[in-house]
Amino acid sequence: MNVKKLIFILVALLLFVMPVLLLLLQSFSSPWRFQSGESFHFQLTSFQVLWPASNLWEATFWSVVVGAGVLLLNMVVGIAAGKALSTLSFKGKPLLEVLFLSPVLIPVLAVAMGLHLFMIQAGLADTVLGVILIHLVPTIPYSIRIFHNSYAQLGNRMLEQPIVLGAAPLQQLFTVELPLMKPAIRSVTFLTIVISLSQYAITSIIGGGRIVTLPMIFFPFLDTANTSVMAAFAVWFAMIPLAMYIIVEGLLLLLPYSRMPWRNTR
Amino acid sequence: MSKKWLLLSVILTAFLAACGNTQSNESDFSEVTEQSWSDIENAADGTTVRLFMWGGDEGINQYIDEWAAPRLKENYGITLERVPMETAEILQKLQTEKQAGKKDGTIDIIWLNGENFKNAKENELLAGSFVDMLPNFQEYYDTDDPAFQTDFGTATEGMEAPWGKVQFVFHYDQSKIETPPSSFEELKNWVEKNPGEFIYPNAEDFTGNAFLRHVLYAQDEQPSDIYEQPLDEEDISGTADKLWNYLNEMKPNLWRNGEHYPNTLTELDRLYSQGEVSMTMGYNEARAESLIDEGVFPETTRSFVMEPGSIGNTHFLSIPFNSPNSEGALTTINFMLSPEAQLAKLKPNYWGENTPISLDKLPKEMREKFESVERGESVLSQQKLEESFLPESEAGYVEWIQDQWFNEVVQQ
Repeated sequence: MNVKKLIFILVALLLFVMPVLLLLLQSFSSPWRFQSGESFHFQLTSFQVLWPASNLWEATFWSVVVGAGVLLLNMVVGIAAGKALSTLSFKGKPLLEVLFLSPVLIPVLAVAMGLHLFMIQAGLADTVLGVILIHLVPTIPYSIRIFHNSYAQLGNRMLEQPIVLGAAPLQQLFTVELPLMKPAIRSVTFLTIVISLSQYAITSIIGGGRIVTLPMIFFPFLDTANTSVMAAFAVWFAMIPLAMYIIVEGLLLLLPYSRMPWRNTR
Repeated sequence: MSKKWLLLSVILTAFLAACGNTQSNESDFSEVTEQSWSDIENAADGTTVRLFMWGGDEGINQYIDEWAAPRLKENYGITLERVPMETAEILQKLQTEKQAGKKDGTIDIIWLNGENFKNAKENELLAGSFVDMLPNFQEYYDTDDPAFQTDFGTATEGMEAPWGKVQFVFHYDQSKIETPPSSFEELKNWVEKNPGEFIYPNAEDFTGNAFLRHVLYAQDEQPSDIYEQPLDEEDISGTADKLWNYLNEMKPNLWRNGEHYPNTLTELDRLYSQGEVSMTMGYNEARAESLIDEGVFPETTRSFVMEPGSIGNTHFLSIPFNSPNSEGALTTINFMLSPEAQLAKLKPNYWGENTPISLDKLPKEMREKFESVERGESVLSQQKLEESFLPESEAGYVEWIQDQWFNEVVQQ
């Protein structure tokens, strides 16, 4: 048991903590050259390049708005579809499941071209709503899948219990289903935010430059040889999913039967 | 039940269709350009202009945001909004908008040249001819300069205004190489003596392809045979053979024995930055300055050009067909072409890029200001650059080199 734990800690250190630390160090130092004879140079210039960029804050704002919108819609659609898939049985269910997964299999860009045409006609192009909707394409299949599995794990008996006790559908959802599905909610949160945050091409096509999200500022900088600026951007980029995750974690505490971390309920 | 759904979907479709048609009436571009210049400037006052451009260089971004935007606001009442987007995607967006009949777009100015201009022009994504009506262009530019008349072999027909020009140079580390090679033959000899110290990006990369075009120019007796003629594979087959021979002879002595070519210039720059190779290159004679400042390149970095010369090109600003504010776009472009704006662009603190302006057309005082700009030690003198200038060949060569290089060099 202890050996296993040790191996886990070692692997985690090597593959996760070390790279992140390296990234942090890189963002606070000037670019390092092999055999240049220079030692570590502490500097804040990489972040100073970043912050005054007038559109950075605006882009961060839009990224958060889009991410939150995408997350909300994913929760609603994922829970509804996941529950239906795991509790109802009907003809053609396997086909429907495959259809739900298909957006992952078809290149998003191919879908985006066609959808752009439609969105222009619908007046959704160049709007936040349009961007949120297009971000559903690469995220929703995963959400449906995760909630489907989660409901399957809960089992029909657990779901029948509140009905027997006479709870209304929404009451069922908030008092039984959601508290029991916290792990699924956490995975969906992280997955959707990260996927939505890294969409470059479809955001720029549908957002049309009106909605400028972080990757639109970040990705062109991949062409720079200045590794420090890249590292600073990456650190900033990582803050958003982290912050959103913490917010969602806070919201989860509002669910009934949640144990408050500051209260010792043992 | 199903009837209800049918009704609903009919209503929804009608609603969407109605949305699609609520487009404001388009102001015809030729009507705009028929106005007098002062009318255009007046109409532009108080408007917002959206400039869509590639955003991967902090110096360029700062030049727009910190230098140009406040001055446009002050002098013309124009709010300039810079939107970072890849040129290919901008054109894709315009193409779809054209298809959808969207007459009221979001883009007022785009920054482009070469292949992108050719695409835009062929697909009628640009508003039309406007360059000749810009007062600054008439006054300070050599309007008949062939560099403004054609863009990688495509006639510009006044649809884009020259904003800047760049020239291809090689960079080397002075502390490692005393005298850089002065011709492609010498480069090959140098590579032989210093195996593993040189590599070029692969042919699909913009810079790698430009390097190969230089070699092609060098293998021909008269480089003008290449750039003055459209691509004819049979005509140049002799030169092409020499080109592939040259590259294949060099290959075993390249970095990693030529088994791997950097995919992008960025990769090559990193190799150079880490001292793995001793030379890099790039399509901008002044680009090493900011990289040295940031500490990415060693301070001993200098640049050089080789016989027969170095290829240069002009890049342009243009107005898309569905610009919602073409008066503002015209005023802004005219401002970007002004001597003041070009001078600030030349100074190394923001962008440090060369100007297409004609120095002898400037008033004496202004000319002296241009001539006194210190572009930095890593930049070659204006005279040297002008002497070695070679024009770009037709856009068709780019693709031809891409395909052939893979067959003739990589697979050998």
